[in-house]
Amino acid sequence: MTTILLVVLGLFAGLVGALSGTGGGIILAPMLALYFGLPIQQAIGTSLVAVITTSAASSSMHLQRHTADIRLGMTLELATALGAAVTAYLVGYINRTALEILFTVFLLYGAVTILRKGGKTEDAQDEMIPASSGNEAAFPPYEPKRLPLGMGASLVAGGLSGLLGIGGGPIKVPVMYLFMGVPLIVATATSNLMMGVTAAASAFVYYRRGDIVPAVAAPLVVGVFVGSLAGARLAPRIHHKWVARLLVAIMLYLSMHMLVHIVGKFL
Amino acid sequence: MNEKREPGFDRALARVLHIGALAGFFVMAAGAVAHILFDGPIAARLEITGVLILLITPVVRVFVAMLLFFREKDWRYGWISAGVLLILLLGSLLGIGER
Repeated sequence: MTTILLVVLGLFAGLVGALSGTGGGIILAPMLALYFGLPIQQAIGTSLVAVITTSAASSSMHLQRHTADIRLGMTLELATALGAAVTAYLVGYINRTALEILFTVFLLYGAVTILRKGGKTEDAQDEMIPASSGNEAAFPPYEPKRLPLGMGASLVAGGLSGLLGIGGGPIKVPVMYLFMGVPLIVATATSNLMMGVTAAASAFVYYRRGDIVPAVAAPLVVGVFVGSLAGARLAPRIHHKWVARLLVAIMLYLSMHMLVHIVGKFL
Repeated sequence: MNEKREPGFDRALARVLHIGALAGFFVMAAGAVAHILFDGPIAARLEITGVLILLITPVVRVFVAMLLFFREKDWRYGWISAGVLLILLLGSLLGIGER
């Protein structure tokens, strides 16, 4: 029964993630912790496996369309992988409640950010369409600027990924697009590509520590895989604003539930 | 940065990720089904294999990119890829010896 529920959870997270362009990793870990009784460390470690799946499935598509910048991605991965491995290691020494508080704060922050950003994800989707045609990339040549800034932001994004089991796209995409002069489609595709390596860097640490639960990861991955494929198909036909609002509502609800859960421990 | 690369490059990496994701998916699906039908060592083994396939997929992607960069004599990015591989390796060593 639990196995089937986990497939459904993965399906939902994959669908919402693909439709909102946020990966969906952010809602997986708290749900695993709150509703499936996993300690937060294991919830995070297990959701990392789902993040790798989404990244691999979606970037193989982006690469075929030549929208991901492998050289830029590889360079920034030096920083994201380092950040992710270090924080993943530190998680082993962080108190469980402290980690839950940190996660709750980030959920709230993430929900507010998406809410304020409004329809930004729509622009990304609109720009996505012309790039899919032909063998050559449909964007003008560019030279990434301010690499040190990009490396710094990537270190932070990687650190958050290792700490919270998320992809870190909401940090990397705006930095590449706004500060490094990378076209938005390329920034999105490159961030997606980097997510896999970043998540793997921390997932190895979680795995060695026993913080990845294979029996939970398996049904989750099955759901996420199918959900994100379906989401990618549905994306052009669905209003992204509503998906973003749904995601915000879920994140707010989860953060409240986490808060109740944390406060409950002290009463 | 992107005009230099050869077209086969992206396709090779896409193939690595595609195969990894699909293989991981099918092994995980088999594990989940086995888990529901007859919970036991077979299910557990399939699930662990699936996790490992997915964890290793991005590493193989970086490794293949490194080989392709070196073959193109693009030393700078070849070494950058080697650096990423080194970090991944160190990360997998970091967790040893706890619990």
